[in-house]
Amino acid sequence: MAVPAVEIQKDDQYVLNHCTRFLARDSDDARHDFGQYEPGDPRARVCEAWRYPVIDTYFDGTSVQASYPFNAVTFIYDDRGAAATPQEVAVVGTFTELHEPVALHRVSFLGEPSGVWSVTVRVPKGQVHTYKLRVDGAWVIDPLNPQVVELDNGRSWSRFFTEGCQIPVTLNRRERELLGRLASHLLPFRLPENSRFIRGVYESLDRAARERQFPLAYRLDEEVGVVNYIDKVLARAERHHLDDYRSCLELIDELLRARYPGREPSMLPRDAIADLYREMATDRVAGWDAARYGSPRFFLLLLRRHAMTGAFVHPRHGGNSGTAGWAYLQDRYPFAWQTAIEAPLGESTDYRG
Amino acid sequence: MIIGSGAGGAPLAQTLVQAGHEVLMLEKGPLLRTQSQSPDGLSDFKRDELFATGAEKRLKVPGMANIGESFFSSHVEPDLNDEPHVYRDTDGRDRATIEGYTAQVVGGGTQLYGGVSLRFTPDDLRLATFNAGRTDLRDDPRGEVEREARDWPVSYDELEPFYSEAERIVGLNGTRSNQEKPASAEHYQPPLEPNPISKVVAAGMDALGMRRYRTPLAVITRDHAPSGRTVPADHETIKTAFVNRYGDALGLKSNTWVSILAPMASSLNFELRANCNVTHLESDGERVTKVHYRDPMGGRRVVEAGTVVVACSAIESVRLLLLSGAADLGGFGERIHSSGLLGRYFLTHCFGGASAIVPERADKSRTLDSDWATDHCARAEWVREQGLWAGGAIYNNTSDAALPISLARTWQAQDMDNIWKGYLGDTSIVGPGFEDYLDQNFGRRVSVSFMANQVAQPDNRIELHPTVRDKWGRAVAYVIKDWHSHDQALMDVLADQCGEILRRGGEGVQFSGQGSVGGQVSRIANHVLGGARFGTDPKDSVLDPDCRAWEFQNLYVADGAFMPTSGGANPTLTIQANSLRVGRALLGRL
Repeated sequence: MAVPAVEIQKDDQYVLNHCTRFLARDSDDARHDFGQYEPGDPRARVCEAWRYPVIDTYFDGTSVQASYPFNAVTFIYDDRGAAATPQEVAVVGTFTELHEPVALHRVSFLGEPSGVWSVTVRVPKGQVHTYKLRVDGAWVIDPLNPQVVELDNGRSWSRFFTEGCQIPVTLNRRERELLGRLASHLLPFRLPENSRFIRGVYESLDRAARERQFPLAYRLDEEVGVVNYIDKVLARAERHHLDDYRSCLELIDELLRARYPGREPSMLPRDAIADLYREMATDRVAGWDAARYGSPRFFLLLLRRHAMTGAFVHPRHGGNSGTAGWAYLQDRYPFAWQTAIEAPLGESTDYRG
Repeated sequence: MIIGSGAGGAPLAQTLVQAGHEVLMLEKGPLLRTQSQSPDGLSDFKRDELFATGAEKRLKVPGMANIGESFFSSHVEPDLNDEPHVYRDTDGRDRATIEGYTAQVVGGGTQLYGGVSLRFTPDDLRLATFNAGRTDLRDDPRGEVEREARDWPVSYDELEPFYSEAERIVGLNGTRSNQEKPASAEHYQPPLEPNPISKVVAAGMDALGMRRYRTPLAVITRDHAPSGRTVPADHETIKTAFVNRYGDALGLKSNTWVSILAPMASSLNFELRANCNVTHLESDGERVTKVHYRDPMGGRRVVEAGTVVVACSAIESVRLLLLSGAADLGGFGERIHSSGLLGRYFLTHCFGGASAIVPERADKSRTLDSDWATDHCARAEWVREQGLWAGGAIYNNTSDAALPISLARTWQAQDMDNIWKGYLGDTSIVGPGFEDYLDQNFGRRVSVSFMANQVAQPDNRIELHPTVRDKWGRAVAYVIKDWHSHDQALMDVLADQCGEILRRGGEGVQFSGQGSVGGQVSRIANHVLGGARFGTDPKDSVLDPDCRAWEFQNLYVADGAFMPTSGGANPTLTIQANSLRVGRALLGRL
């Protein structure tokens, strides 16, 4: 769905605020590789390369409600490592009309070029896009963004997704289904009464509410977006845990199939999962192939941290779908989260998100 | 030239700018604006739990005992792999830590702090006098407490007008009556309604005869003329629990950026350069002549210095002076080390408290950081009765564990190096166990803390680490410290007082436990103080009474590094008041 790019003005201060801490350095040490990079990937030298492009809140200057369906996406190119200073940098991607490059601008400090180029465009929430940079006529993938995908034609493109995105980008269907089962047993939402409540949350979202909060209420399930949160965090901030998930979901799938022949692991009853958790907590799981993954307890703790976060996180991160996690807390306890949170998600009249 | 824009740097900048002096301020961190300041109407601070404690990262600093472990930092705290603080643990091994950093952002630590803005007591500033000739001090077999106690070279009466001025320009809410800290002027704004969970704390304090007051907090509750800030029509919406460890998108928390720097940002004689990291100072004789820094993308730059004020927070200020000395051993180095005390007498606070579960659940998401405080244990007679050298403030915490993710990640985790570990280690919090956990804790946990003086010890110190380097190749700060046996005694007594408050809090209050940071050497509550203490004797101090380095004409240190004792309360307001005092002294010299 290509549309003309809507460029947003951001001042140089904004851009440098998103660069200095992460990019400026003398050190060439790969201190930021926690297992997520191929050997030699230069991204391992910079801090939190997953932050690029910068996905931020959009505000049209007038209406928080009208602005809510969009993000402000800032592309950043750092020319300091180039053999010659480029004369032109642009970005082309599926978020705008193809063949319509959007030019990046030089960012200055004290009136001099800083080496950083940037442009900010408006992109709807909940979308996945691919793009490339054009540097003096040469097409390159984004040297900062670790998200690189190979398209059907075999070519590599950079990728980003906007807030509240429900489109899977990391895990396949089978992995997501099993993960949904595992996560929902960690959380209280599968208990019968809570399950009814959560279903009620989604059913009570009428069409208008869905459009207002689009695309933050989507999955009608008992894991309230936890799987989607994990799918997204594994694509960006905690990509170094992707192998943990891949390996362990495969192991657990095999193990449960062996224990319960003829039954689909994602449909097993609670006791089956509870037994597995008890074993994982002690690091002694019957049938676990330690040669393929050393510590089931490590994975259980990782999954618990992600499940807790995904259930109650701000929905911009892809979890807490439809704010069902917060609604659950509010139903049981005094917890007026709406007063602090931006509209239309919450009811704050001052905070814009 | 002022290095650092937090509680130490900003107040004196205002004094100088208002007097017409040219001021250039360099700040390592970004300039994150409020909604009303930002050209696009949006703040870089968000009400989002992942901003306070972000994604998991792994420590990869070579040589550290905790290499490979997880760490979590906020969006304005340094990345440990780029700029670690290293401390020597009790097992003698070095570990990198997130503790001991304030925020790296314009406004410094005042952007993320809870805003507790207590004064020190008059006795806090004269602990040598207070303890002279005493033989009743607990657990001090070698007489070190009395020997190492120092009176500040300024008295409370001399500092008091600056406290009042700081309270005026920063913008606080709270109440004065029942404080043991005399005030000459009243600038507190009215406090908001306390969170209902604080009822048990008020009841406990009353039952024990502890005179209480509303904790002074650096959050405005009314329009604030000195900074031009306004508050929402519904004052109660100011309470969000996104307080401690969160920047404020609306600028109601009175950090030094919104309260002091932003109002003068357009002054022609003031320039603030954010994202600029000072690497070292250069001197010629008794004058600092040049300040070397890295610009936002790392380019080397130099500015000529007239007068230089260092205010990077105590550990980083000491580190900057040590690095400058190491780069010029015979010049800058000889002068800055003239007393041999730079880096020594590093201090934090004796800190601890108690927690309980209350029977009546409250909405803790509508709160500021604290509701009630008492100076009961800061009174001279109480301190003497207990055989202690100094007292401390006690106050309750209301924003801790107020939001769902923070409840989990701070579960049984006493410091930021242990975020998430308590919750994850308790594998019973699953399914029905998860629901029990929420039932037992969500909106029901209340805690009371104390903040008290730590005994000054010469071997508690900041050095340059011999091998670990930051991302610029500079030696990182090496924190070597331990507790004195008297500190432990003091913490035990005060933790018990906090426990008593909760045990006397009323029917149905389930006491959970009490404790302190005693026995741990990493935890420093992010109150980093001392290391360049001021005094009247050049052989016994690094700075003169005006916080000028003794052997330099134009070099000042204005953050918490100047403190010879750490005071019985959170330090920020005292750092701000002292900064104003130093600013006044500078006016007479420029």
